[in-house]
Amino acid sequence: MNAKKQLTEGLITNNPVLVQQIGLCATMAISTTLFNGIGMGLSVLIILTCCNVVVSAIRKIIPGQVRLAIFVVVIAGFVTIVDLLLQAFIPALSSALGVFIPLIVVNCIIIGRAEAFSSKEGVFLSFRDGVFQGLGYTCVLVLMCLVRELLGSGTVGGGLLNGANSFITLDGTGAGIRIIPEGFGAGALILPFGGFLTLGCLMAVMQYALRKSGEKKAKKEKEVKE
Amino acid sequence: MNEERKLIVSSSPHVRTPRGTQQIMLDVIIALLPALVAAVIFFGVKPLIVTVISVISCVVFEFAYRKLLKKNASYMDLSAVVTGMLLAYCLPPTFPWWTVIIGAFFSIVLVKQLFGGIGKNIWNPALAGRAFLLVSYAVLMTTWAPARFQNADAATFATPLASLHAGQLVPGGANALWDMFIGNIGGSFGEVSALALLLGGAWLVYRKVISLRIPVAYVGTVAVLTLIFSRGNNHLLWMLQNVLSGGLLLGAIFMATDYCTSPVTPNGQLIFGVGCGLLTVLIRYFGGYPEGVSFAILIMNCCTWLIDQHTAPRRFGIMKGEKKKKEKEEAKG
Amino acid sequence: MKKAIDFIKPAVILLLVAAVVALVLGLVDMMTRDRIEAIAEQTKTNAMNAVLEAPSYEALDVTGAPADIDEAYAAEGGGWVVQVTETGSQGAVTLMVGVTPDLTCSGISVTQSSETAGLGAIASQQSAAGDAFRSQFVGQSGTVAVTKDGGTINALTGATITSRAISNGVTAALALCETLG
Repeated sequence: MNAKKQLTEGLITNNPVLVQQIGLCATMAISTTLFNGIGMGLSVLIILTCCNVVVSAIRKIIPGQVRLAIFVVVIAGFVTIVDLLLQAFIPALSSALGVFIPLIVVNCIIIGRAEAFSSKEGVFLSFRDGVFQGLGYTCVLVLMCLVRELLGSGTVGGGLLNGANSFITLDGTGAGIRIIPEGFGAGALILPFGGFLTLGCLMAVMQYALRKSGEKKAKKEKEVKE
Repeated sequence: MNEERKLIVSSSPHVRTPRGTQQIMLDVIIALLPALVAAVIFFGVKPLIVTVISVISCVVFEFAYRKLLKKNASYMDLSAVVTGMLLAYCLPPTFPWWTVIIGAFFSIVLVKQLFGGIGKNIWNPALAGRAFLLVSYAVLMTTWAPARFQNADAATFATPLASLHAGQLVPGGANALWDMFIGNIGGSFGEVSALALLLGGAWLVYRKVISLRIPVAYVGTVAVLTLIFSRGNNHLLWMLQNVLSGGLLLGAIFMATDYCTSPVTPNGQLIFGVGCGLLTVLIRYFGGYPEGVSFAILIMNCCTWLIDQHTAPRRFGIMKGEKKKKEKEEAKG
Repeated sequence: MKKAIDFIKPAVILLLVAAVVALVLGLVDMMTRDRIEAIAEQTKTNAMNAVLEAPSYEALDVTGAPADIDEAYAAEGGGWVVQVTETGSQGAVTLMVGVTPDLTCSGISVTQSSETAGLGAIASQQSAAGDAFRSQFVGQSGTVAVTKDGGTINALTGATITSRAISNGVTAALALCETLG
């Protein structure tokens, strides 16, 4: 398994959110500003990578009967560490994401990758899998944030960018750069229902693209055979 | 691809009708015209412009989506025109034109086409579009204007629904009823004139486009519930004002009867109508919004498959599970 | 005997993993605890300074006060700062309210909320719209309410519930201070 294949799997063909459809709850709940999206995405990336490495390292000694319990203990440990570190060093992000950081414990992406990948593969492969799957998750989150924030509240980079004085604000208070004048954005997209809507549309686009490329590939193979 | 699907085999009897989707939609469009005339009389030329914009954008979105995805063109069946008219009808007369286009996009692309186009959508596209606009642009969607012949001043003016939502009868008492019947009131411009909507409904029933089951069950439920649980001393007046205000008639005649989002079985249609009426009264009485028609119909749209499943007529020669079991036991013993 | 080993081995391994994780967590907690507490303290002082500037604040006993009052502080040099929690549209909204000795509001800041981004969240944002909304409360006294309820506060567009919650909070804080002084 080479790195390039793992990367395309994480980002596109086996994307955790759009194809495997796991970790949807937090995806829909927090993707309202870019600040939240990037923060959540990177937190999951770090936790996922750490868990993958540890699970892979101890995979030979994990007894089959209690493997899920061990995964959960490892995951909960890393989530709590990240939660404490965020509270101590990036308090704005911690307060913006609130309960969704502790909830990463039950995010299916992490336990899913532990069960499906890192408990079977080597440490290095699992490390790469964690990074690439985490990247895939982050990309979808950022995309959802961009769509919902732009069409819903009419700004880009809420919490992170600031149109007024200092350009980048890391304390989560930036109002974003206004693209659509106030009052013109479709506020429904910011509501929870907008999360379902945006995610559904993204999934539809993804399925459409995957099917198209699959058909193309099949056609090519056929031609080669003939 | 699916060549075997082209031949459809089913048992008799077969009924052949020359009427296609296009003819039915044309009838609906004709039935909707009186309400448009009433809107122009009471609110000036603005409703006409909004309706034209809405219809054009609906047809363009329908055409563009099918073209872009290389699907067969369906804009000729006129269903997008009906959606466009219905969407426009449930907007306030003051509504800005650009939001109409957003609503049309939501209705046609997201609610109708993404689910497979005409006949496959779960929700009524026009109503879903209205709900989206209501949630997104709450302020614009509730900025009303008095009708032209109304003795009201624009600042202190309230729609009949707003009065009812506050638990008060519409000012003017019994005299207000006539205004409400012909449409000399504030509200979404397609819903104000009960007279025009009833004329359209009569045309649809005469042409056998719709049956009376859903509209009668719907309006009847609202009437009975508001009569029993009326607020104020004049029960009958409260009931009549509830029936004549808001989008109840527009919804009951034109939206709840939409073929693909309402049940097909006769009993199912009655259940659907009663459910819509119940939800409408609940939302009007206890909800945050003064009007409940659109949300009531959308919620019942979600239940359509369930209602259909439980009211499907028994197939000939097949017994219900219970009875069968009993008979089996009897045969044994 | 083989059965007993099958039964004990997984339990021991699980115990070991849990013990290691607990150890690491303890270490991280030791490293971060002081910092987290300092940050919480700093955030609070900043919020208090933003609504009513004073060199120091003295915590008051608020047992018996209405349920929405969390904490109250007497500012050195007169006035109070009250922390209240109200129910907004998406959950609790916690705000600091500064009250001058003549019982008018000297400023508010929303310290914790999970209101809808782009609508109710504007109340806690450092933006022109947020500042404009919050500055309406300065100088208010007695019962504070949004225009829809007959008051003078212009509610945030599409966020009447949030605006109402904050108005209620300010009213509660003013009422509390009236009993205090």
